[in-house]
Amino acid sequence: MMAIVAVTVFVGAYLLIATEWVSKTITALAGAGVILALGVATSEDAFYSAETGIDWDVIFLLLGMMIIVGVLRRTGVFEFVAIWAAKRAKGSPLRVMILLVLITAVASAMLDNVTTVLLIAPVTLLVCDRLGVSPIPYLIAEVLASNIGGTATLIGDPPNIIIASKSGLSFNDFLINLAPIAALALAVFVAMLPLLFRGSFSVDPERVADIMALEEREAIKDRRLLIICGIVLAAVFAGFIGHAALHIEPSVVALLGAGLLVLLSRSKPRDFMPSVEWETLLFFIGLFIMIGALVKTGVIGALAEAAARATGGDALVATMLILFVSAILSGIIDNIPYVAAMSPIVLQLTEGIADPVQADALWWSLAIGADFGGNLTAIGASANVVILGIAKRSGYPITFWEFTKTGAIVTMVTILLAAPYLWLRYFVIPS
Amino acid sequence: MAEDMPLVDLDTSALEAAMLLAERRLPALVVTETDGSPHSILPASQVVRFLVPGYVQDDPSLARVMNESMADRAGEKLGNKRVRDLLPTERRELAAVNHDDTIIEVAAIMARLRCPLAAVMRDDKLIGVISASRLLELALRPH
Repeated sequence: MMAIVAVTVFVGAYLLIATEWVSKTITALAGAGVILALGVATSEDAFYSAETGIDWDVIFLLLGMMIIVGVLRRTGVFEFVAIWAAKRAKGSPLRVMILLVLITAVASAMLDNVTTVLLIAPVTLLVCDRLGVSPIPYLIAEVLASNIGGTATLIGDPPNIIIASKSGLSFNDFLINLAPIAALALAVFVAMLPLLFRGSFSVDPERVADIMALEEREAIKDRRLLIICGIVLAAVFAGFIGHAALHIEPSVVALLGAGLLVLLSRSKPRDFMPSVEWETLLFFIGLFIMIGALVKTGVIGALAEAAARATGGDALVATMLILFVSAILSGIIDNIPYVAAMSPIVLQLTEGIADPVQADALWWSLAIGADFGGNLTAIGASANVVILGIAKRSGYPITFWEFTKTGAIVTMVTILLAAPYLWLRYFVIPS
Repeated sequence: MAEDMPLVDLDTSALEAAMLLAERRLPALVVTETDGSPHSILPASQVVRFLVPGYVQDDPSLARVMNESMADRAGEKLGNKRVRDLLPTERRELAAVNHDDTIIEVAAIMARLRCPLAAVMRDDKLIGVISASRLLELALRPH
């Protein structure tokens, strides 16, 4: 009975989140409220249990990074780098797009995708305005790059953070296993840009002077703050990389980094608190409670057993199935609730695989499928929705199909790159 | 306390309205409907806001990277726009006062609506305007 309630609440909430009829935060919290009110889960289950409760490591890692970004964005460093790159490209639209795409991908690996596109979009609109070209191809290319780049690290995309917490895989594990495929996918994506956005690269040569007249140095408002941010960010990444030696969880590293940065920069709460997305954090909290109820009532276990039977316990079949199903489902529905629901299922599947390398392949295929799959449609990832909103507000609306026709090609190519990568790396080379 | 001030209607050229504000250093203009009844107040700050690109409003640090020659092109944005294009999409409450309202009543309306100009009405007809600076002049005048 409790299982039926847990499933009904979760499916109902998922549909509301997918259709966006109601705010997803309200939906997730309401769903969690129903779960607790009906006694499907107790407060002990929801707040303190590692198996069924809120994943506080995810919450605090996100919080720490949001605060760090909140201080970092005040430096103007993103604007400086983007304008510097546009000037290096000497106003060539294609070169500008390639450089902005690379900047977005690298930034996305270090910060979350939504923050990255929020930072890069205004300066992209400025550069395109100066060049007299439509910003639509650039905004689409950047958000596709952000989803690809964010795949490379533990902190690059919220699905990766959830996977890391569930699987116990470290920052270095993500770097070693996912950065190569992310880099390869990015290289192929950059090579495809002239074809994907054919006809978008002509510019009036006289407009080039407008780009060269931009003064990127003026974007750096506070040099001292920039240096402090650079030092603290380097320390935070050192903390992530040194996890095996330091035994400090990424969430604690992020919180310590945030606290140190706030102290050293003498920032006031009003300077960085607006960057903390409380709605996002509350959404995660509600989501974890609902999924915890599915774990507690045995629904996840049953699904995992069904998946194991369907794949015959074959790790390669499971890996490929997870990759392709994740790519499709993540493209249709938000990849965060998808990964949050899939993670406990994949955890149980990995427990039935003897070879640890092959067991980890399931996690990598989930991460790649969910991250790359976020490019499939305009609603596949939060960053996509954000960029469409920005484009619309700026007078350059991007339709669902305009995004999806490009996103679908990119998703297909990157997933088709990932499949042989997973097969060769985890099933051929080790043996 | 009402003053005379030029009026514009919703279909007046945006450039013409901006020139009026600029040449006469006005804080705002009353925008009328085609029948002459007041529609809304167009503050000068709203016109300035229209001229500032959205990406600069989203990221004010970008204003620093643009040089003065880029400001010269700001007026081009008014181009073939009308006054109705400058107004916020969600129509705000009209700052209107009666001809016999006191200084405090007028001040309260201006403060609540954060508007530098109020339309002065008598029997539902627009008879003039009162600006914040005129209000201050009256309020601070020795009695």
